[in-house]
Amino acid sequence: MFTRTMRRVAPAAAALGLGALVLTGCAGGGDPLDPGTGGDDAGTITIGNQAFPESELLAQIYGQYLEANGYEVAYEAGIGSRETFITALQDGSIDLIPDYAGNALIYANPDAEETSAEDVEAALPAALEPLGLAVTAAAPGEDSDALVVTREFASANGLETIGDLAPIAASVTLGANTEFEPRWRDGLAEVYGFEGWAFKAIDDYGGPGTLADLLADAIQVADIYTTTPSIAANDLVVLEDDLDLFAAQNIIPLLRADVLTPELEGLLDAVSAKITTEVLLELNAEMASDAKPSAASVAAGWLASVGLL
Amino acid sequence: MNFFVDAFAFILDPANWAGDAGIGARLARHLALTGVSVLLAAVVAVPLGLLIGHTGRGRAAVIGITGAARALPTFGVLILFVLLGIQFGQGLSEGPVIAVLVILAIPPLLAGAYAGVEAVDDVTVDAARAQGMTEWQLLTRVELPLALPLLAGGLRSATLQVVATATIAAYVAQGGLGRYFIEGIQTRDYVRAVIGAILVALLALLLDGILAVVQRLVTPRGVSRGATRTTGTTARRPSRSSGATRAPVTEG
Amino acid sequence: MSWLWANLDLVLRLTAEHAVLAGIPIVVGFAASLPLGWLASRSRVARGILLTAFNVVYTIPALALFVVLPGVLGTRILDPLNVVVALTLYAMAMMLRGAVDAFGSVSGDVLASATAQGFSGAGRFWTVQLPLAGPVLLANLRVVSVSTVSLLSVAALVGSGGLGYLFTNGYQRYFVDEIVIGIVFTVLLALVFDAILVLAGRVLLPWSRRRTATPRAVVEGRAA
Repeated sequence: MFTRTMRRVAPAAAALGLGALVLTGCAGGGDPLDPGTGGDDAGTITIGNQAFPESELLAQIYGQYLEANGYEVAYEAGIGSRETFITALQDGSIDLIPDYAGNALIYANPDAEETSAEDVEAALPAALEPLGLAVTAAAPGEDSDALVVTREFASANGLETIGDLAPIAASVTLGANTEFEPRWRDGLAEVYGFEGWAFKAIDDYGGPGTLADLLADAIQVADIYTTTPSIAANDLVVLEDDLDLFAAQNIIPLLRADVLTPELEGLLDAVSAKITTEVLLELNAEMASDAKPSAASVAAGWLASVGLL
Repeated sequence: MNFFVDAFAFILDPANWAGDAGIGARLARHLALTGVSVLLAAVVAVPLGLLIGHTGRGRAAVIGITGAARALPTFGVLILFVLLGIQFGQGLSEGPVIAVLVILAIPPLLAGAYAGVEAVDDVTVDAARAQGMTEWQLLTRVELPLALPLLAGGLRSATLQVVATATIAAYVAQGGLGRYFIEGIQTRDYVRAVIGAILVALLALLLDGILAVVQRLVTPRGVSRGATRTTGTTARRPSRSSGATRAPVTEG
Repeated sequence: MSWLWANLDLVLRLTAEHAVLAGIPIVVGFAASLPLGWLASRSRVARGILLTAFNVVYTIPALALFVVLPGVLGTRILDPLNVVVALTLYAMAMMLRGAVDAFGSVSGDVLASATAQGFSGAGRFWTVQLPLAGPVLLANLRVVSVSTVSLLSVAALVGSGGLGYLFTNGYQRYFVDEIVIGIVFTVLLALVFDAILVLAGRVLLPWSRRRTATPRAVVEGRAA
C-alpha cells in the first residue's frame, strides 16, 4: 500500500523538483539568494543604488563602464537611505555606491564645516577612514538637497533665500524623507533662524507624492533634489542656500576601502570626470520622458555618446 | 534582545504617548483607518454574502472574484491608486489606503456571510418555509441569527488582516503605526521597528480578543460553533460546507 | 504596451526572481507546518502553544520583520534570505491553522480502523492521515501560495521585492503602465503557482475531485 502511494508520489515530486530547478535556472543573471562575494574577487564588484531614478542611472553608468573594462558587475537596486547603504557597504552586501559628497561627509563627521566642493572632497578620505570606507575623485556634477516652493508661494511671501522662511516658519509645513528632520532641523535653526516649522514625512526622495502635496498646498516647502525634472516642469522656485548649509553635493563613488585598487580608481575617475550637472539634468529628463526608457538603456546611450563605450 | 527591552521602555514611558507623532495619535489614526475600512467592506460584503448563501446562486462566481482579488499585490495596488490620485491633481490622502484595505477586507467578510448562511441546517430552513415564512423573514429571523457566529468569525479575520496591513498607510505619508517601521528603515533604527511591531501585535491581539468575546456572545444558545474535530456523524443531509462551520482556531 | 516589449528582459528577470523568492517560503512553510499541524491536532497543549505563537508572528507586519531579522539572524542587511525567512514564517502561520483543521478532520473512526488493521504511527500518518487530510491541506496551501506571492512585493522597500521593483520604479517616474504591468505579472505568477498546485492535487489526490469546503486560509490570509 505504501509503495502504491510512493509510485504515484515519485513522478509528481520529480516533476515539481524539475520545475523548481528550471525556475532557478531561469533566474539567470545571478542567483537571487547569493548576496554577492564582496571584495574577495578583484574582478567582481557589486554596485548598489538608492530608490530614485538618478541613483540607479549613476550605478548603471559606472557599472556598464566597469563591465566593458573586464569587471563582473552585479547590481543591488533600491537600497534605501544612507544609514542603510553605509551598513550595506560595511557588511559586504555591496562594494560601491554613487553618493553625494557633502551628505557623505556630514554622515561620517557630523561636525564637519567644509562646504565648498574642493574642501568637502579633501576632507572626505580622512572622515571616512574610521568607517572602513573610501572615495575616488568627485564629479563636477552636483545634485543637492534643495528647499523648494511654488512660484505663487514665493511671490506671496517674498521668498528668495532659505533665510526668508524664518519669519513665516510657524505657518510652514516642510515635506521630506523621514531622515531629513533629524539631519537638518538643528542646522536650519542655527544657520538660518528657521525653526518652529511642522514636518511631514514623505519618503519618496522628492518624488511624486512630495510634489503633489506641494502643489496641493498640503506642504509649503519641499525637499526636492536640484536635478529633478519636476522643478523646471512645474515652475518651482529653489530657495537659495546663500549661507551654505547644504554643502557641495558632487557625485562621488563611495566604496569599501578594501575594494579600492589603483586600476579601479582610474576607471571610476574616467567616468566621473564627464558627469556634469547639465548631463544629470538632461539624462533625468530623458528617463522621465514619455518613452520611459530604463536607466540601463539611458546609461548605455550616454556612455556611447561620450566615447566611453 | 536588547531591542525588546528598549522598545518596551519606550512604549511604557507616558511622554511618548503625547503629541502629533506620539503613540496615542498614531494608534488613533491606525484604528480609524482600520475601522472605516472594515465598516465599508462590511456594508458591501455582508449583504452580498447573505444573499449568496440564501439563494445558493453566484457562489462560484463570487469565489472566483474574491480569489482573483486576493491575488492582487496589495502594495502594487496601493501605489497604483496613489499615483492615479496624483495624476488627477490630488495630494496624498487616505483614499487609496482605505480603498486597498476595503478590497482586502471583503473576501473574509463575504466568506463568513455565505458560509454562515450555508451552515444553517436544511431541515431548519425547510421547517421555517413550512411555517409560512416569506423569504425575507426566513433570512432575517432564521438564517441571519444562526449565521452570526461564522459572520463574526469573518469579521474577526477581516479586522485582523486589516489591522496588520494598515501599516501601509505609512508608506504614503498617511500616518498610523506603520510610521515606526518607516522610521526604523530610514534611520536604520531597529528599536523603532520593534516598537512598531509590538504595538501592532498588541493592538491586533486586543481587537481579536474583543471580537472573540463578541463572537461567543452572538452565538445563540444551542447552536454549536463547530468543533475542530468532526467524528463523521453529521446531519442526515450533509450540509453544503461542513468545513466552514468550524470555529476559527485562534482560540489557541 | 510598447514599454513592455522594450523592457521584456527586465520584467522576465524580475518574474523569475519573484518566483524563487516566493516559491521557497511556500514549499518550506508547507513542509514545516505538516509535522507541527499534526502535533497540534493531537495535543491540546501543543495546539495552544503553537497557535498562540504563530498568531503573534502573523500579526507582525512584514516590513518590521524585514528590518529586524538581519539583527536577529546575523545576516547581511541586503541578504534576500531575510525576506525568505520572513515569508516562510508567515506561510507557516497561515498554513498551521489549516493543517490543524485538516488533520483534525480525519474521522476518528477511520483512524481507529487503520490501527485495527495494524498500521503503526508513521505508517498511519503517511498512508491514512496525510492523504485524507490532503484536500483541506491543498485548499489552504493554494491560498498561502497566492498570499505569499502578493506579500513579496512589499520587500521592494528593502531592495528584494522581485516584481515589486516595478511598483517603486514606476511610482518614481510617474509611470502608471509600469505599475500595472507589475500587478499583471504578479497575478499571472500567482495563477501559475495555483495551477501547479491544482495539478499536483489531481495527481496525488485523485479521489478528491468533489468541491471542498471554504478553506480556513481564505478567511484568514494576509497581504502586508
